[in-house]
Amino acid sequence: MDDMQRSTLWTDALSENRLTGTWRNETPDYRNLPSPCLGACPVSGRIADWIGKVEKKDYRGAWETLVDNNPFPAIAGRICHHPCETACNRAQLDETVSICALERFVGDTALSEGWAFPAPPANAPAQSVAIIGSGPAGLSAAYQLRRAGVGVTIYESQDQLGGLMRYGIPAYRLEKSILDGEIARIIDMGVTVKLNTEITGAAGLQELRVRHDAVYLATGASRPKPLPGVDYDQPWVQDSADFLAATNAGQDCTLGAHVLVIGGGSAAMDVARTARRLGRKVTVLALEPEAMLPAQRAEVIEATEEGIEFVTGAMMQSAEPGTDGLRIRCTRVDFKRGTTRGAFNITPVEDSEFTLTADAIIPSIGQDADLSRWQDLLAGDGPVLKADASWHTGLDGVFTGGDVASMDRFVTQAIGMGKEAARSILVYIAPDVGAADAPADDPEAGFSVINTAYHPLAERNKPQNADVTARLGNFKEVQQSLDQSQAMTEASRCFSCGTCTYCDNCYFYCPDMAITKLDGGGYEIKSDYCKGCGLCVAECPTGAIRMQEDL
Amino acid sequence: MNMEMINYKDDGQFCSGHVACAGCAEALALRVIMNAVGQDAIGVVAPSCSAVILGGHPMSSVKIPFIHGTLESAAASASGVKRALVAQGKPDTTVLCLAGDGGTYDIGLQSLSSAAERNEDILYVCFDNEGYMNTGGQKSSSTPLNATTGSTPTGKSTRKKNLIEILAAHRIPYIATTSPSHLNDMAAKIKKAKTIRGTKVIIVLIPCLPGWGVADNAAVKTARLAVESGVFPLFEVEGGLTYTMTKATKTQPINDYLSLQKRYRHLNDEQIAQIQQDVDEDWQRLTTRAIEADV
Ligand SMILES: Cc1cc2nc3c(=O)[nH]c(=O)nc-3n(C[C@H](O)[C@H](O)[C@H](O)COP(=O)(O)OP(=O)(O)OC[C@H]3O[C@@H](n4cnc5c(N)ncnc54)[C@H](O)[C@@H]3O)c2cc1C
Ligand SMILES: Cc1ncc(C[n+]2csc(CCOP(=O)(O)OP(=O)(O)O)c2C)c(N)n1
Ligand code: SF4
Ligand code: SF4
Ligand code: SF4
Ligand SMILES: [Mg+2]
Repeated sequence: MDDMQRSTLWTDALSENRLTGTWRNETPDYRNLPSPCLGACPVSGRIADWIGKVEKKDYRGAWETLVDNNPFPAIAGRICHHPCETACNRAQLDETVSICALERFVGDTALSEGWAFPAPPANAPAQSVAIIGSGPAGLSAAYQLRRAGVGVTIYESQDQLGGLMRYGIPAYRLEKSILDGEIARIIDMGVTVKLNTEITGAAGLQELRVRHDAVYLATGASRPKPLPGVDYDQPWVQDSADFLAATNAGQDCTLGAHVLVIGGGSAAMDVARTARRLGRKVTVLALEPEAMLPAQRAEVIEATEEGIEFVTGAMMQSAEPGTDGLRIRCTRVDFKRGTTRGAFNITPVEDSEFTLTADAIIPSIGQDADLSRWQDLLAGDGPVLKADASWHTGLDGVFTGGDVASMDRFVTQAIGMGKEAARSILVYIAPDVGAADAPADDPEAGFSVINTAYHPLAERNKPQNADVTARLGNFKEVQQSLDQSQAMTEASRCFSCGTCTYCDNCYFYCPDMAITKLDGGGYEIKSDYCKGCGLCVAECPTGAIRMQEDL
Repeated sequence: MNMEMINYKDDGQFCSGHVACAGCAEALALRVIMNAVGQDAIGVVAPSCSAVILGGHPMSSVKIPFIHGTLESAAASASGVKRALVAQGKPDTTVLCLAGDGGTYDIGLQSLSSAAERNEDILYVCFDNEGYMNTGGQKSSSTPLNATTGSTPTGKSTRKKNLIEILAAHRIPYIATTSPSHLNDMAAKIKKAKTIRGTKVIIVLIPCLPGWGVADNAAVKTARLAVESGVFPLFEVEGGLTYTMTKATKTQPINDYLSLQKRYRHLNDEQIAQIQQDVDEDWQRLTTRAIEADV
């Protein structure tokens, strides 16, 4: 007896004749939604996607997804300030996913496997773009433009590429071979490079504008903010940018045995820890009280571990050479943060003077963009160049981004800005390319749409630091990478927020068999039968399906 | 993601178009059970929500024949069907008997007890929604302490009857509990029961949406919390003596479980503490009996 005969023997019909879909006033809607990490990521890297690929051991696929938005995963995986981890939904269950360490894992795998970017179209490019400055902003734009088949020439005043990634960030946080590897991959796409070529001012810019179809100006911010009252001509004063550029280039440090670093930000930490690695005794003097230091907490902790002393909530008043070194007169201050970023108020505390001794001082209180050289052509907007939402400066065909055009001074911010500008430049030089799709204003897949019953508590695989004793006296990387098994278990901690993993939960939890699995993957709601209960949505582990009111 | 995938096979043995409430966990359980039982089976169903879901004449939501029996005698009817099948030379055909808690703990208890005592070869599934629900929500002896129903508007004053201990006393080969939050467990237990000769009873917890005051999308969540808080432990009893926990840990206090349900809305702290204490003691008693065998 076949199925049908058997059933027709004892019943007239199956219930499928009754269309319970008429009961419904809401319908489930499959839609991948942006994860909070993606919303926070300065390069808008599709994090849930590539982590999902890592979990499936598809490292190549993960890398390809990553480099769609960011050609520097091994760099970002080391030094990104990782706002994604702060936004990560998993932090509300146990601990954030180690997104940054996973990115490093994928980036390092790509470098060790020697994966290259696809060669751009073979025919000679019809158009070319000049890029001034080879920091992360310039290189990111170069990469995106070259991928699109546009000719790119980079003009760089230094003798090597990389900007502050090379001359600012010390090797113990970003190994030079990693930097070289990820930059070489971009240049290998057929980028023309002019080193030791400083574009000195408005005339130079005009000339480039004539020679190329568009110009991207990404000269960064490398002019040290001077510390008032300090005579930079004294041999015992060296500015932080010069100090880091010299030490990063492997030059000897000529400063005395005890160095006072002035400033409490990330750059000051880099200076202090570099000097420490060069065998100096190091003291950091900062206006902020310890808890309010602008450097990242981990940097302060690591610096302290390395034997760096902190004098916080205090200000230098004068420095004079004495018989054994400098006598540095200081006073305690009452520090109040202002309302805008970086703004503050200080009041010296009466009768709180004290004296420090040292052999040299390195002011490290930030850097400004040099706008003066462009001022005849380009308008400023406070401390940065003026640009519209498409990164156009207002001077026809000249675009900008990175530190020179923004106070969001991080490597991945610069990479993101470079990518956006490249898109605008493409539209400018080849309008048929079309503007980027307007971002869908889909709601974020927040913690409330994650069904945590499917995500058992699991300890985070944190990247480990090298032992303190192994760190001093050399520039080996402090932060260690995750090994393959750690990377796999870490990837499996990701909720995959807003991204369907084809787990079939929605299909199996429907009491009305109203979901069909499609042959090519994916699912479809049978509107004849769906009663609109929302169980499929409630039991989705990732928030990739939601109820929409029937209109 | 680190989750267990649902892996039973849906062969279409339970059909769309049934009239269960939107989001009903009993329909969800029927989907698993009918597909796990398969085509070579005959059913008996007592008056209950499942009788309604299976469908009155002329439509059926299942592809095996079902006899709609009486509330008192489902197990007796099932015994008769099985004996007839054996007489016809079809001893391998499964006889599936479905009843609610009213039809099992109360009104059908004596016929179930008799069938169990005779060790009739039936697979008896009790959908335990802790009340007479298709008739509008009256209490049964399965309704838990303090839960409100239409007939216990201020909360039931006595505990839920421990049916498993009653059944275990019959020393039948297989008794198990399962929950619509654990579909793999449910399919596995039905399949296992099918291979055993004699009386098998499986009790499925069914959070009743209108009866318990649970949101349309929350039956599975409620059932899951019942399991995780130990209110409804998942276990098996073989031969009436061998207890095996199939989920060996209790990870949640009862508060979240209770707060999803309107029937517990009136509880004061003292009553909640009482329920927690009962759950803890029952859990302790059960687990000391059980050989831990977490799957
Ligand atoms: C010490 C230090 C540590 C830092 N650490 C971190 C970190 O850990 N993580 C992080 O995210 N960010 C960090 N930053 C910030 C980060 O480095 C910058 O935000 C980022 O490099 C800016 O990129 P950019 O491309 O705009 O500019 P830059 O990296 O500054 O590159 C600009 C390039 O333009 C070239 N150039 C300038 N003028 C001309 C000209 N006229 N002609 C030709 N070439 C020119 C420069 O030589 C340079 O190569 C750090 C910064 C410093 C100073
Ligand atoms: C002897 C008898 N009394 C009363 C009824 C009416 N009746 C039909 S179903 C039902 C409720 C059954 O409750 P339960 O077994 O728990 O099933 P549920 O409706 O909760 O699924 C009642 C009281 C009946 N059919 N037979
Ligand atoms: S759990 Fe994964 S997808 Fe969700 S926010 Fe964190 S990293 Fe992103
Ligand atoms: S579980 Fe089924 S009936 Fe309920 S909303 Fe989803 S598709 Fe519709
Ligand atoms: S339940 Fe699973 S298959 Fe369904 S939408 Fe969510 S992730 Fe995708
Ligand atoms: Mg009932």
